[in-house]
Amino acid sequence: MTIPKILESYNPQEDIWDELMGEDGVRPIYEQFVRSIEGISHEEMEGKDDLAKKLFMTQGITFTVYSDREGVEKIFPFDIIPRVISSEEWSVIETGIKQRLKALNIFLKDIYHQQFIIKDGIIPLKLIYSCPLFLREMMYVDVPFDIYSHIAGIDLVRDADGSFYVLEDNLRTPSGVSYMLENRSMTVRIFPDLIPKNNVRSVIEYPSFLLKNLLGLANRQTSNPTVVLLTPGVYNSAYFEHTTLARLMGIELVEGRDLVVENHHVYMKTTAGLKKVDVIYRRVDDDFMDPLVFRPDSILGVPGIYWAYRKGNVAIVNAMGNGVADDKAVYAYVPEMIRYYLNEEPILKNVPTYALDVPENRSMVFANMDKMVIKKTNESGGYGMLIGNKASEEEMETYKKAILEDPRSFIAQPIINLSTSPCYIDGKMQPRRVDLRPFALYGPDGISIVPGGLTRVALKEGSLVVNSSQGGGSKDTWVLGS
Amino acid sequence: MARYMERTNGLLRVLRTNYVASQDEIKQYNWRSVLQTYGYLSPSEMETIQYNSRAVLEYVMLGKENEASLINNITRSRENARAVQDHITKEMWHNLNAYYLLIREPSIRQTIQSGDPITALDALIRHSLLLYGTIDITMSRGEAYSFLNVGRFVERAIIITDVSDIKLKEVNYRLDDELTLPSLRYLLYSLSGYEVYLKTSRGIMTPDTIMKQVLYDESFVHSILYCMSHISRYFKRLEGQSIPESFAHLDFLIGKAYNNLKYSTCDLKGGVSIGALLNQTRSDLYNIAIAFNKHYFGYN
Repeated sequence: MTIPKILESYNPQEDIWDELMGEDGVRPIYEQFVRSIEGISHEEMEGKDDLAKKLFMTQGITFTVYSDREGVEKIFPFDIIPRVISSEEWSVIETGIKQRLKALNIFLKDIYHQQFIIKDGIIPLKLIYSCPLFLREMMYVDVPFDIYSHIAGIDLVRDADGSFYVLEDNLRTPSGVSYMLENRSMTVRIFPDLIPKNNVRSVIEYPSFLLKNLLGLANRQTSNPTVVLLTPGVYNSAYFEHTTLARLMGIELVEGRDLVVENHHVYMKTTAGLKKVDVIYRRVDDDFMDPLVFRPDSILGVPGIYWAYRKGNVAIVNAMGNGVADDKAVYAYVPEMIRYYLNEEPILKNVPTYALDVPENRSMVFANMDKMVIKKTNESGGYGMLIGNKASEEEMETYKKAILEDPRSFIAQPIINLSTSPCYIDGKMQPRRVDLRPFALYGPDGISIVPGGLTRVALKEGSLVVNSSQGGGSKDTWVLGS
Repeated sequence: MARYMERTNGLLRVLRTNYVASQDEIKQYNWRSVLQTYGYLSPSEMETIQYNSRAVLEYVMLGKENEASLINNITRSRENARAVQDHITKEMWHNLNAYYLLIREPSIRQTIQSGDPITALDALIRHSLLLYGTIDITMSRGEAYSFLNVGRFVERAIIITDVSDIKLKEVNYRLDDELTLPSLRYLLYSLSGYEVYLKTSRGIMTPDTIMKQVLYDESFVHSILYCMSHISRYFKRLEGQSIPESFAHLDFLIGKAYNNLKYSTCDLKGGVSIGALLNQTRSDLYNIAIAFNKHYFGYN
């Protein structure tokens, strides 16, 4: 198709995959959308952009940044132009994520039980036992249906060759799904009629799928299980998400102080007395879950909950101790896990990853630091990360020193040229880097993934950091029907 | 007046829910059942617009030729209010007048034709809520207030029976099919009952529990039984201002309608059985409305 006026100033960079434009112009999956907006005037587009901002404000769709001195609540920047994924591409993503999640789940079961993968020499023992997120307390704990990672957010990026790579697995308390749902409702408002016209698949079923899985985890003897969502409280950066999910599922939103453990059973305090809790969808980190077992200074958790869990009296979602599987150093071994446990070749590729406790890797990385991204193995949200080509000499030296002091806590990856997607910024369409976080739900009936996800955008020109806490935003993700 | 106001509010919610549903489906959304209930188009006229959300909204909201349109409802409500200005508060009259002016604003039509229809629907729904709030805050709890509420709950009950019937029609009165659930979920959205449902039913969607809430849940403000009990509650307050024979007749009809519903032996798993109950209820409600007109407003 010919380039419409609205895209005249759109200049994708060379050597970067652009989601909208290929060598032959607008990619076929975007054609319908581009046709729909080509007649829209500049003023109308501005109006749509303003409407989006206004709606986010009035609906209180916010997140909190801990270190922001100006205030705690912020609007998550939203770009009005959707990211489009074809049904064929989605099919690969879906199958790949299912395969990966299955393997990671078996890995968690194995690592907290017989540890065959270590005994067979696939993963070094030292790597596991040196991982701060490996919980010895989870050894030989039997979890319902052997499912550890009930909710997973797998971060995908697209490199210059157009293929998807897994950047990270988030198996602890992945957030962002409420923005996936809200972004869709925003698009309905901003571009009326475009969703049905473009044959976009619905994401509305996510809360129903999640609730069905949560209910399925309850003790079979309980006909009317009580499910709660445990939040760290109003100051948590994802509190909006916690309230949204609790409301959409019709379950109670509780804080640690609302729960109490008696005789190894968990109860919720209500005006009518204590009520037994069967399933806890927790958004509190492992360390804070039980002050009697983990951090004694935690006031976010529930004293005694660990033993109630261990005895099988309450199901906790996601399971404790999952961090060992999404540790960035363990990540490098996921393709091997897939081969070992499933006897299959990985469908989704890993980004090459260098563990920095290996001296040869360290020397190579130090020599090519400007071409590398260095990450702390147990951090997320864009924290604890150094992007070589953007870092100063001083920052590099600081990182080198930290790596030499504790090499196990760092990995390095080559800088991936994240693909770009069109964004409406400063009154014109501009390419910005994006990633994709689809959300997978693992329940007693198997793995399901709603067709969509959270596309995060690095809104600053040239930036590769898409995290909301680092100035990133998001956009709606359209998976087209076949 | 109260009935027109309630009809407006109910219709706005139905339109909003159906519009959102129309935006979330890959298949073309068919508005036929809404047009059948809230319009007077011939089958061939209906066919020309039934897949066009904006055209349907324009017809049902702003079509002056459509007797059941929102604009006509609001206009009639305002006319009625003018006639009884001595019984309502000034604030209420101002609000109703502002509502009348709002729906006539060109921006509303423009938004429906080419903008975001939800913005227009939300603006009108907000005004509806403002009007209810004004009535609640400013009206004295006398005769006029009781009449207002009887009218409001009669109309709300009729709307619930109509909306439920629309949704049952969409699934051909078959409740044993998985495909029924999306339709019934939108029924709950239309009645602002989805969140209540999730809380009371642990999110497990089954047609019979949904219908039970819509028909019988007396703590759900958009259930038919709730409306019936409130019709009775506000009507009883009118006893002192009524001719005994008129009061006795209406009291009998209201009690009969309430009991017909409350003690019905309807099979909630069967769409046909629910359809019959809805018909019976609608007929009872119309009888109440007719009797009211005859005994209290002098229409014969």
